[in-house]
Amino acid sequence: MTKTESDVELAELVSMDMPWVTIVWNDPVNLQQYVTHVFSTYFGYARPEAERLMLLVHNEGKAVVATGPQEEMERHVEAMHDFGLWATVSRAFS
Amino acid sequence: MIPFVKQGDALVAQFADQEVDILCELIEQEIALLAEVGSDDPQDAGLAEVGIGGSSTPPRDPALARLLPDAYLNDPEAASEYRRLTEASMVERKIASARGLVESLGEGDVRLDPEGVELWLRAINDLRLIIASRLGIVEDDDLGTGDEVMQDVYFWLGYVQGSLLDAVGA
Repeated sequence: MTKTESDVELAELVSMDMPWVTIVWNDPVNLQQYVTHVFSTYFGYARPEAERLMLLVHNEGKAVVATGPQEEMERHVEAMHDFGLWATVSRAFS
Repeated sequence: MIPFVKQGDALVAQFADQEVDILCELIEQEIALLAEVGSDDPQDAGLAEVGIGGSSTPPRDPALARLLPDAYLNDPEAASEYRRLTEASMVERKIASARGLVESLGEGDVRLDPEGVELWLRAINDLRLIIASRLGIVEDDDLGTGDEVMQDVYFWLGYVQGSLLDAVGA
């Protein structure tokens, strides 16, 4: 599929505004209920969204749980590590 | 153990003497383990003195490496820089949570305010991560190998954490 000029511009805009993501990875230890609790209490996600993200982590092996500036993503990752979740920071479009 | 139930804003539970002993013993071992972080990394002593000291490389002990994972995959430089800035304070917070659990555990009659609940969830989770690493639990539905007593303790900790989560959501 060929990208139109406006697609490229849109992609650039998105990548300027939200170049980084916080990823949470699946692990065999954390209880599903705990992961949902962390997503809803820390990120403030409503219960269904927190559960959807938890299931994504569980079924797909990982999920993007936040996007934004690098420093903010690092703070999220630090918080996830405080909770004992396995999380990393990376560029959104790499 | 009498599982956690809601009483107003608090969650209460009761632990048997033997369970109190096990939890205290595990926490003591965890604190000793966390105290090792960075001790084999003399180059960071200067940074440690000004309070931002952390190692530049992940801990060699797999349980510690799981508690303090790299924040960047495939970017050792960024991971190392991040670790240097965050690791020492993260270790302090984990030790503080562990100590906090023992304090509120007392002799087994536990009453937790919402802050205490969050502290317990993290502290119990850290213990589960350490034990899972020792048991070699690496995949979903993995039961691990080795010490049967440790396996029982691992499942019991999962039960304690589940009891907290059930009560907090009730």
